[in-house]
Amino acid sequence: MHRHGGSRLRQPWLAARLHVATLCLLLMAGHALAEGSRYVLVLYSNGRLVPGNVDVETGLRESIASSAERPVQVFTEFLDRPEFVGDAYERTMTTYLRDKYADHPPSIVVAVAGDALDFVLHHRDDLFPGVVVVHTAVFPGLPKPLGALPADVVGVPVEYDITGTIEQALRWHPKTRRLVFVTGSTARDRQWKSLFEAQATRFEDRADIEFLSELPTDTLVKRLRGLDARSLVFTAGYYQSGDDLWATPRDSAQLIAQASAVPVYGTFSTFIGTGVVGGRVPRFDAMGVQAGQIVNRLLDGEPPGSLDLPRWMPNTLDLDMRQTRRWGIADADIPTEALVEFREPTFWEEYRTAGLIGATVILLQAGLIASLLLEHRRRRKAEMALVQRGGELAHASRLAIAGELTASIAHEINQPLAAILANAEAAELMLKSGRHGPDDLQCILADIRRDDMRASEVISRLRTLLARHAIARQPFELNEAVALGCEMLRAEARRRSVTLQLQASAAPVRIVGDSIQIQQVLINLILNAMDATGDLPEERRRIVVSVTEQAAEVHVAVADRGHGIAPEHVPKLFDSFFSTKHRGMGLGLSITRSIVEAHGGRIRVKSTPGAGTVFHVELPRLVEGARTAAPNTEVDL
Amino acid sequence: MTLKPLIHVVDDEEELRVALLRLLDAAGLEARGYASTGEFLLHPLPDDPGCLLLDVSLPGPSGLELQEVLRQHGCMLPVVFLTGRGDVASSVRAMKAGAVDFLQKPVNADTLLGALGRALAHDASLRAARAEQRQLESLFATLTTREREVFDRIVAGKLNKQIADELRASERTIKAERAHLMLKLGAESAAELGGLAERLRQTAV
Repeated sequence: MHRHGGSRLRQPWLAARLHVATLCLLLMAGHALAEGSRYVLVLYSNGRLVPGNVDVETGLRESIASSAERPVQVFTEFLDRPEFVGDAYERTMTTYLRDKYADHPPSIVVAVAGDALDFVLHHRDDLFPGVVVVHTAVFPGLPKPLGALPADVVGVPVEYDITGTIEQALRWHPKTRRLVFVTGSTARDRQWKSLFEAQATRFEDRADIEFLSELPTDTLVKRLRGLDARSLVFTAGYYQSGDDLWATPRDSAQLIAQASAVPVYGTFSTFIGTGVVGGRVPRFDAMGVQAGQIVNRLLDGEPPGSLDLPRWMPNTLDLDMRQTRRWGIADADIPTEALVEFREPTFWEEYRTAGLIGATVILLQAGLIASLLLEHRRRRKAEMALVQRGGELAHASRLAIAGELTASIAHEINQPLAAILANAEAAELMLKSGRHGPDDLQCILADIRRDDMRASEVISRLRTLLARHAIARQPFELNEAVALGCEMLRAEARRRSVTLQLQASAAPVRIVGDSIQIQQVLINLILNAMDATGDLPEERRRIVVSVTEQAAEVHVAVADRGHGIAPEHVPKLFDSFFSTKHRGMGLGLSITRSIVEAHGGRIRVKSTPGAGTVFHVELPRLVEGARTAAPNTEVDL
Repeated sequence: MTLKPLIHVVDDEEELRVALLRLLDAAGLEARGYASTGEFLLHPLPDDPGCLLLDVSLPGPSGLELQEVLRQHGCMLPVVFLTGRGDVASSVRAMKAGAVDFLQKPVNADTLLGALGRALAHDASLRAARAEQRQLESLFATLTTREREVFDRIVAGKLNKQIADELRASERTIKAERAHLMLKLGAESAAELGGLAERLRQTAV
């Protein structure tokens, strides 16, 4: 921390050698240490477990450099003040230390806090004559000024910045009207009290000053609990309460902080974590480090008098963030140089990685979900388009069927038209000649109406077949649809002199789907059968369409006695653009199969060359019990 | 010709058949309907005046086939065809087979009645010709074998003398026989005889 230039480092080494040679050790003011000296005794004023001591020890152990060329051994002893005092105790301690370290004479004694320094200065000659003393954690004002020290007693004193702490506290709590100091009942505690009293005078004009000194614990706790909200507590902790309970300053500070209804500020960095807000304090670990560095330099041979040491240990504004938050001190109001402990990390600070991973996962997940949704939408659109295209294809195929049926359709419409014309002209002639019976004209008109209906029926049937309609999914009676399909082909069958025979099932059979498309299936299959039997003698031009009900299915068969299908054509039969006809596009059976499959059915073909072909269509039956479950629902196929 | 001509209507479409019969009735024509060729053939082949109104496409044997069968059986009733679909092949075949007309449905009354009128007129003229022929044949039947021999030779353009030589008779005898047969046949000249012979030959063919 306070290492100086290399040139100053080398000079003492040279000097040390000279001094050893001349054996002028004791006469020298600020003499250097002999080579080979490697024991350091650390003497603490208080008990082993006083938190400040633990911090100092940590700083010392951390900083005292021990190496192979210059091994250093550090011993620790405790005066256990303020519990153990008195001449007899001091004598015993002196004897004990002298005897104990007879074989391990320390070359440096580190005195921690004022009591230890007093003890060493008082008994140095008895104990380790001429030993170099490094002091640390010594607060000159307590109980008395440090005064002039021998040249071989060095160290950096501390200063408890009570005023600075209180001023800082008052800045944070501007409404404060009362300053409460808590002290204990040992001599040491009383020294703190007088120190506080001296400092408090500065604040008399801003707040009432109150001392809670040497109170029994219960009373103290009660008083602290009952403090007005516009109060502040300041303490150095205490060793002994009014009811003679002993504690470390840290423990008593904890008791005070936990009892207090208002913020508590303190003198020691060790109070951080007890519930005390903090204060402008010297840090004990820093004191340990400072002392350790002085020890190193002395061991390296620097004469004590030539050490250029800081006048005071620096103070740090040491704060417990849980407490600053608790008492409503804004983070922004905390000076940047403050050492903030128990900083409660923000969620981001604490769980940065986890948060990042979480956020990434969530983002990825959201992205995935979004893309899946998008994909789903796209697929649905594509499916819709496919269904629509399928529907369009089926529609186009129906147009083609209509084209094929033009001749028979024209005939079917022509027949009634011819009858209408003949009837109308007969009536005309009758009226002209006046030769007609009373009912003749009546009959004629009735016949004209009937024939007109017949023609328009053909047209509406055709229109139904050709209309571009949304694909339905409704229950319908299959026999009716099959009969309608056959009806469409009645004229065509007659034109081609084909006998078309329909064998309906015994009982009505309902299926779910699009009845127009099912008619289309029938028409396609029957037209194929007609084509297959076209050049056969008339007795073999016979097509049987049968509907057979089964348990869960209904079976529609279209059988002809034609030439049959060549075995090599059977596997390709349902492929698009496969046709053996001169003018066929090869879409009929492919569309037929698409429709059947869209209805959840299957289509098979069984052909015996020379004997005929049977197309079997199996469609799932609508089970009557399930009818209520899905009646008339419009679903995409 | 005291009998009123009868029109035989063969059409499988009952509605049209009824309408046609009604129309013909209103037009003052006798008509009878049949649903199929078969039904028509169940009746004895008509010998009375009349004609046929046939639908081309009928279940079973078609109108064209009926026309053919009737010809084969010597039934000369003229045929008017009615068709729902006027395909050229059928119409050519029908006309070649002697159909009077080939009409498309729907047909208006004027066209139909016109065609039927022509058919009936044709039938009537056929019948007249046939009656004349039959008369001629019966006259001819009254000739003796000898007179027929003379007749053949006159018609062949031979002179009396040549005929006499061939038949080893006197020219005079031949002359007398010639006068006799001309009287029988009601002919007044050799040219007239030639015309008769021509008509007879036609029927014989």
